[in-house]
Amino acid sequence: MISLKDIVPAATNTISTQFILLDKGNIGQDGKETTCLALVADESASVHFQLWGDECHFFEPGDIIRLTNGIFSYHRSNLVLRAGKKGRAEKVGEFNMLFVETPNMSEIKWANDPTNPRKFVKEAVLSSHSRIFPTLL
Amino acid sequence: MSTSKLLRICSLDAENPIDSSLREAFSSLHDRLKPPFPLTIPSPSEYSQLNLALAYGILTEPHLAKTHLTHLHAIVIDGYNNFTTILINLSNESYPKLLQIPKSQLLWMSSKLVQVAAVKVETLIISLLRQIKVGDFSEPNLWLCSELITILANNWDWLLEEPLIMKSSLFVFLRLLADHYRLVGRPELDKLKRMEIEFCIRVLREHFDICLHIGRDLIRLLQDLVFVPEFKDVWMDFLSDPGKFGVPVFMDISQLYRTRTPSHYFSLTITPEMETQLRFLLNHVKWGSQKRYQAWFAKKHFCTPGSETVIVDIVRFICCAHHPPNEIIQSNVISRWAIIGWLLKCCKKNYFLANVKLALLFDWLFFDDKVDNIMNIEPAMLLMVNSINQYIDITHTLLEFLFLLVDNYDLQRRELIFKGVSNSFSLLVRKGVVHSLESLTSCNQLSPVFREKLASMISSSDLATMKGSSEMCQRQVKIAPTTKCNVDSGKVSLANFELNDAGLQ
Repeated sequence: MISLKDIVPAATNTISTQFILLDKGNIGQDGKETTCLALVADESASVHFQLWGDECHFFEPGDIIRLTNGIFSYHRSNLVLRAGKKGRAEKVGEFNMLFVETPNMSEIKWANDPTNPRKFVKEAVLSSHSRIFPTLL
Repeated sequence: MSTSKLLRICSLDAENPIDSSLREAFSSLHDRLKPPFPLTIPSPSEYSQLNLALAYGILTEPHLAKTHLTHLHAIVIDGYNNFTTILINLSNESYPKLLQIPKSQLLWMSSKLVQVAAVKVETLIISLLRQIKVGDFSEPNLWLCSELITILANNWDWLLEEPLIMKSSLFVFLRLLADHYRLVGRPELDKLKRMEIEFCIRVLREHFDICLHIGRDLIRLLQDLVFVPEFKDVWMDFLSDPGKFGVPVFMDISQLYRTRTPSHYFSLTITPEMETQLRFLLNHVKWGSQKRYQAWFAKKHFCTPGSETVIVDIVRFICCAHHPPNEIIQSNVISRWAIIGWLLKCCKKNYFLANVKLALLFDWLFFDDKVDNIMNIEPAMLLMVNSINQYIDITHTLLEFLFLLVDNYDLQRRELIFKGVSNSFSLLVRKGVVHSLESLTSCNQLSPVFREKLASMISSSDLATMKGSSEMCQRQVKIAPTTKCNVDSGKVSLANFELNDAGLQ
């Protein structure tokens, strides 16, 4: 299990973590597939999570989700975490989990690591909080 | 992933450990669950596996349930402890997810376990009582009420041996009856209402000595039923002929007023899930982060018509059964008063709101520091004081209601109630829950009438005799500035004075 603050964009399905779903955007179509962008968070950070197919209708705000072998990468120019074809997201509970909304890992600008071009490093914080999902005050 | 015969589980749900342990035991022992039953005595581990397998069989195979039950009776060596524990865990953890067949079977099996007075069956019945949702008038919920009241009414002799169950079920069904009786145009409910009335009246009339232990919340529940003819008679006897209850020590209703209701009653009318969520909110969630949790809680528990009636029970639970330790009170975890402020705002109907305010202030009316706990009255005090700046309407409405209660709650015992409220204010200042009452007595936004009433209440309390406060008595506006030195911060923290507005919207 990795904390959300430690995830780094990569082209591999290696992220196993647990988070709580805070907010959902509108459900739409991406080609044949139903998709929906969501805000999820754990005690260390938040991130945008891309829901696919049945996930879009099933997961609701307040659900605690366990992600196994997920991927954090650019999808249509948005940096999102998702289960992908090889990963799995499943509901393990509701409500009883703490979270923070900042930093948001999708709102960080990443650059290639000069010492290792296959890796990303943090370059700048684009926004402290999600610019898509408003904070509830 | 296999679909469960026990629980409503979708492919995106993680595996449920209770479901899988029951299913696995059943499939591995399936062939041994048919007669003839083996003559060998199982080892302890085989015994517990066999219990799991039989539980699964009984819950999911109604046509074979009687055979499985005979099997269970034949193998049992522990007074059904193992078997009952399985059902208790299932009820506590997964009742809301149970499919209809296993749900019916669980209730059928529970009645059988009551008949054999199984070990821990009282815990099972309490667990099932807690699955009834106050304010839920859906068919499955009313079905559960009806099943449980039938079990209780049919097993009166057992009930006599289990006074805790008798008191607990009286508490639950009095509460439910107030809502059920108000529901009109549902003829199918008539039978349930009749059973609830008969059960409660029988307990009250025949075993009032046991009912006395419930304490003052028994009165709070009964006053909501005064329009039901049978309960009107109970009231008449309370007030004019207490001897009719056949309990020599019971001579006046004030004896009930003076008995603090033990805290475990307040968990009975909220579901285990609600309790877990409320405790999480009040033990872990920090100021400023509560909004999303409040929204989820409201969506889950207050979204159906009539469901807001449960807010009364939640407020009683928070005041009387959730007492955070000092580390939490002094931390930046959201305070009880702020959550109660939010709950008050969730009440849309005036009728419910009045009941919620009564729930919040109820212990004030009879407060006696020899038997009462300051933590029960602390939330209302802090809510009044901390709402002054931004939510004066809350301060106003609570004070107004408090004075209304003092003047009208029980005209014949007005003095007792006046003393209770005055004791409350006095102790809250002496223990440092608030430094003084000056923020209230000198608040220009509050009506002068209230401020005068408050001052006269203070002047008759022992605060008035404290050093440095005589001036206050004369001017009737200020309260002893030296009270701070009497703070016993070991019991109640001084933290959380600042109003964090985020809690109240």
